[in-house]
Formats: sequence, structure tokens, C-alpha cells
Amino acid sequence: MNTNTWRLSGALALGLAAALVVAGCSAEREDDSGSGAAPEDCINAEQAQAEYLASWDSVSQAFGLDDLVPVEEEVCEVDASAFKADPKNGDTYQIAFAAQGPTNSWGTLSDEALRFRAAELGVDVLYAAANGDATTQVDNIQQLTSQDPDAMVVVPMGEGIAGQVKAAADAGIPVIVCSGILPASSGAVSTVTRQYDLLGSAYAEWVAKSIDYQGEVALLSGLAGVPTAEYQLAAAKKVFEKYPDINIVTTQYTLWSPTEAKTVAQNLIATYPNLAGIWSDSGYGALGVVQAYQEAGLPVPPITGDSFNQVLMDTQGTDVEFAFSTFPPEMSSTCLDTALSLLKGENVLNKVFIDSPSFLAADAEQYIREDCSGDLPVPSLAPEALLVQLGLCEG
Amino acid sequence: MSATGTRGTETIATAHRRRLDPAALAPIAGLAFVLVLAAVTTPNFYSPEVLRLVLFQAGIIGIAAIGQTLVLLTGGIDLSIGGVASLTSVTLAIYTAGDDTKLAIGILLCALAGVAVGLLNAGLVVIRNVPPFVATFASFVLIQGIIIAWTRGAPSGRTPPALGWLGTGRIFEIPVSIVLLAVIALVAGTVLGRSTAGRRLYATGLNPDAAARSGIRVGLVIAVCYVIASLSGVLVGLINSGYIGFVDAALVGKLNLDSVAAAVIGGIALTGGRGRIWQTIVGTLLLASMLTWLIQLGAGGGAQLVFSGAVILLAVLLQNGRQSLRALIPTKKGTQ
Repeated sequence: MNTNTWRLSGALALGLAAALVVAGCSAEREDDSGSGAAPEDCINAEQAQAEYLASWDSVSQAFGLDDLVPVEEEVCEVDASAFKADPKNGDTYQIAFAAQGPTNSWGTLSDEALRFRAAELGVDVLYAAANGDATTQVDNIQQLTSQDPDAMVVVPMGEGIAGQVKAAADAGIPVIVCSGILPASSGAVSTVTRQYDLLGSAYAEWVAKSIDYQGEVALLSGLAGVPTAEYQLAAAKKVFEKYPDINIVTTQYTLWSPTEAKTVAQNLIATYPNLAGIWSDSGYGALGVVQAYQEAGLPVPPITGDSFNQVLMDTQGTDVEFAFSTFPPEMSSTCLDTALSLLKGENVLNKVFIDSPSFLAADAEQYIREDCSGDLPVPSLAPEALLVQLGLCEG
Repeated sequence: MSATGTRGTETIATAHRRRLDPAALAPIAGLAFVLVLAAVTTPNFYSPEVLRLVLFQAGIIGIAAIGQTLVLLTGGIDLSIGGVASLTSVTLAIYTAGDDTKLAIGILLCALAGVAVGLLNAGLVVIRNVPPFVATFASFVLIQGIIIAWTRGAPSGRTPPALGWLGTGRIFEIPVSIVLLAVIALVAGTVLGRSTAGRRLYATGLNPDAAARSGIRVGLVIAVCYVIASLSGVLVGLINSGYIGFVDAALVGKLNLDSVAAAVIGGIALTGGRGRIWQTIVGTLLLASMLTWLIQLGAGGGAQLVFSGAVILLAVLLQNGRQSLRALIPTKKGTQ
């Protein structure tokens, strides 16, 4: 090998070493953000707080958990008198909807559930799809604001849109954050979502309990840097920290793809043969894990995720232990209801935490929909007619 | 093609073949380095299970990377390969609905869709002179749009079980995907290195004007490469469908990145006309080993991206450094 080649090899080695150092130092944790407006005087705090705690109780009972401690949230009523208004144009309210867009079945159902509800209520919808991209959504919100809607519902694609949401709020448009959270500085009046902390914590508590609070655990998150994934992951890590005998051996990202999750799981099988449990934030992740272990002829460690039809069908009749919950796309209809309540002068909560079914493997069979697409989040609260219309279920 | 033209291209290719740049060995050194690092830090890396994982990943990445290499050799780039793989997965699942008897026609439909995308790319690049980056990215976006419009964002359907062999099967304990890659690499390497078609391709990539003047139908050469690249995306889509048995449209962007990365890390010039299939294979093995090793190491997603990005950057810097060095050092016949 000549000098030049040695030099190049050395450079490659140095590059790899440098990359390793940087990689080791990389932080993937985002700061927690508040959500919804921070009221000066908390109205009807007791009842609002009770509704909040109910969503935690429901998951605790479903998963059989005693140790699930709700995170502190100040939930209050928002005085809607300041937002009461007649329709700006004609007799019908116009609600702007800055949506994720139909990039997957969740996005499609989120869009269509709001439209379905709007048609029921006789409300006009000004729709703009971000196709999953925060930058596109900033433009969308700007354009929707210029059309001066009566209110705006935003499914946030990232915290980067907070400034544009603030601009819309400053323009006198009440904004409802839907199926996600934004910092309080966004000026949103209310946030309607399934709580990330709840899902992340509950899954972690269930895994901990299932493995008798000891052993090796792997964490499978969705997409690095995306708030939906990072908030849940952070909540899970906080729970596992309570248990000194639980060793988190690795944290991997599955891109919310069963294919990627399966590859990761095959690595886990080879590297950590004594893995006791797997925390996953998604059903797609769980599906990949289940396939990898089954193909290797090994028992599947207790696993978590959000429920969708295919993973329930693939685990039916097996002894796979799992705890699934849902992040229902149909909550967009509640977002619309909240916006309309405000416009009619009815008080709403500043944080509406959606409660939805959570269940263990023993109860899963009732939620399987043989007549529906494998990609359908189940149990679905969407109207049956809508599911058929979307081609997600047979008529 | 005229006799003079043929001789001209043969001269270019022959000279290229004989001149083995020692710097081209850098990817091999990189691969060896990763393998040694893996041996030291994660001894389990050399277990049969993990090696099979590396080979499976290399098969997937490598097949797409060979298609990408052909396009890169023409001086282009194909950012639609991942989209084609996704379209294949969706088309197959929707058409067959998991029915084995419909598999053959389903594969034919996927291939036709792949050819159509390849021709679209070629048409934009060759006829409309759209820069390859823009043309193929537009195709990628178009495919995504078609999938969303077709499925309303909710693709459904199962992959026929008979296809499972392609994704999970083994031949003498070796994953099918790497066997396919070996066959494809052998054919591609032979065609590129030992046939007139290969010489025409190198000539087109090195200097399309000169190639055209020597009688080579440059447009046809480029078009064929884009079609083959799209078909490589179809094959990867079929393997992925067999692997998971479920419509998975989430991997499109990753395949584009991996296919370009494998070729570039191996030493295929982004400027066209330089590089061999064996280099792409080395780049593929390096990338697949590195990604698997990082997971074994317990590195998170951010660390994996940082590391992959650093290696690609290093490969590009080495390529540029080599070219700058050649430009600075005068040879007996002048500068190259």
C-alpha cells in the first residue's frame, strides 16, 4: 500500500472517529412544552381537573396499573365570552383546518372525521394539507389566516409553526390545537389531544410491571426529533428511571415503519438475547417486532404500541403479551366542536385530553375488524359510513 | 456507429480500466476499518444471525445502488427509486389482495409501472433537458401524490404469501436478497466492463458531446439507465413486500439516500463516467455493515444519521481531493 493510500485510510479512520464522538454527544431529547393558553384565573378548576384525571384512571384500569402517576397539568375552563361571535361571512361559520394531510390512514381519518362532523353541523371548512411538513404548514396557516375564518383548527406538524399560530391568534382568530401540542406562547385558546405523557408513561409502567420491575428493556421510538415521538419517549424514560433493576439497553427509531422495526428487532434478538421487554410507541413497531421474534422461533417479549388492525390480526391466537392504546384520528371532530363552542360563547377547557380505549392482549379480539383494512387504527370511533366511503372497510 | 467512434470509446474505456487509482482502495480500507471496529466493540457482530442481517440489508441497498450507479455513470441521479419501491408495494397489495394466483400479473403491473417511471425520468432528462436532480425528484413527488390520491392516504391489502420467500427466504442459509444482488452485480459488472454497451455508457458519462459525435446514441443510453434504475426500485419493493407482508410506504426516502450513499461511498463519481460495479458493492457492504454495527452498538437514530452523513461527506471529499490532485499534477501528456 503506498503513502497516498495510507493517508486516505487514515483520513477515513479519523472521520469515523470524529463521527463517533459527535454521535455519542448527540442529544435527541426535546424540551417539554406547555400546551393551550395559560389562564390567569383558573375557572372551574376542580371539575376540569377531574376530567383530566379520568383519562389517566381509564388507562390505569385497562392495563391493571397501580403506579401510574398523572403528570401535573393545570386544566381550566376558558371564558368564551370574549370569543362569542356571529359568522363573519353569511349565516355559516367558516372554520379553517390546517391539517396534516392524507399521508397515511391516520391523516386521512383525521381529515375526513372533521369534514364529516362539519357536514353534520352545517359548517364550512377551509382546508389546507401540510402533507406532514411543518414548513408547508407555516405557509398554509398564513394563507388560511388571510381568508379571515371564524376560527382555526391546527394539527401541528412541529413546534416550528408556533410563531405563525401566534400571528393567527393576534389577528383575532381563535385557534384550537388538535391532536398535538404547541408551546403556550402560540396563543392557542385550547388544545385537544390524546396526552403523549399518558401514553408514554402507561406503556412504560405496563412493561415494568410485566417484567417484574427487572431486566433488560429496549425502547423503540418513531422518528428522531419529531415531538410526537420524543414526548412519549421522554415520558417512558422518566418512568423507567424509577426502577433501578431495569436496564435500558438501547433506544432505536423505527420510522413508524414495520419493515424498519423488523430489521431493528432482528438486531435486538442477536445482540440482546435476554431482552425482557420492549417499549414501542407504535403498533407499526410492534408488528415488526412480533414478526422478527416469531420468524426466529422465539417468544415475543411483552410489547406496547398504538393499536391498528393488522397487528391485532397477526397476534390473534398467539401468546404474545401486549398493551395497546390509541391516538384516535377522529378526535379532530372534537376539535371542531371545541371551536364552535367558543364561537357560540360556551366555555371550553384550555386542555381537552381525549380518552380512548386501551386494552391488553386478552381483550384484543373484540377490536379486530376482519372486514377492514389492516392499516385501520382500531377501535375506530369514526362513523361506519365514513369508513366504507374511504374504502377502509367493506360495506 | 462508425469504426472510428467505436475505437474512440474503446480507448477511453480501456484507459479507464487499466488505470487503477490507489485512492479507489479507500472504501475497502473503510470497510476493513468498520469490520475491525465491529470486531473490537461488538464481538457479536460476527454471529451468523447478525451477518445474515448485514447481508440482507446489503442485498436491499445494493440492488437499488446498482440501478443508481448506472444513472450516476451517465452523470445523472435518480431520486425516484424509493418512490418506485413504494409504488410497487402498494400496487401489489391492492391488486393481489394477498392472493397468490394474482402474483404474476401483479409483478408484471409493477414492472410496467417501473418502466413508465423510468421513461418519464428519461424523457424529462433527455428530451426536455431538465436537470436529473429536479426531474427525478419531481417524479418522486408525483409518485407520492399518485399513491395518496389512489389510496386516499390509506393503502390496504396484503402481500401474497408466495412472495414471502423473496423477503425472508434463504439459499444455503444465505438471504435471497444478497444472492439476487450477486447475480445482478455479476451481470452489470460484465456488461459495463466487457461489452460495447458498457463502453458507450462510460463514454456518455465522461463526455456526452464527444460520445454523440462518435456516433453513440447518448439519449438512448441514458434512457436505458433510468429504466433499469426504476426496475431496481421495483425489485426492492418486491423484496420489502415479501419481507414484511404488509403495505409499508414509510421507507421511500431512506432507500433513495442509501442507494446514492452506497454508490458514492464506493467511489462512483457524481460527475459521471467513472466508477465500477465492484466499488458500489464495496460501498454497499460498508454502509450495511456500518448501519448494523451502529444498531449493535446501541447508537440512537440521531447518531446513525450523523455517522452515515459523516462517511458520505468523507467519501465525497476524498473524491474531490483526488480530482483536484489530478488537475494540479502535470503529466507527460499534460493535465488530465
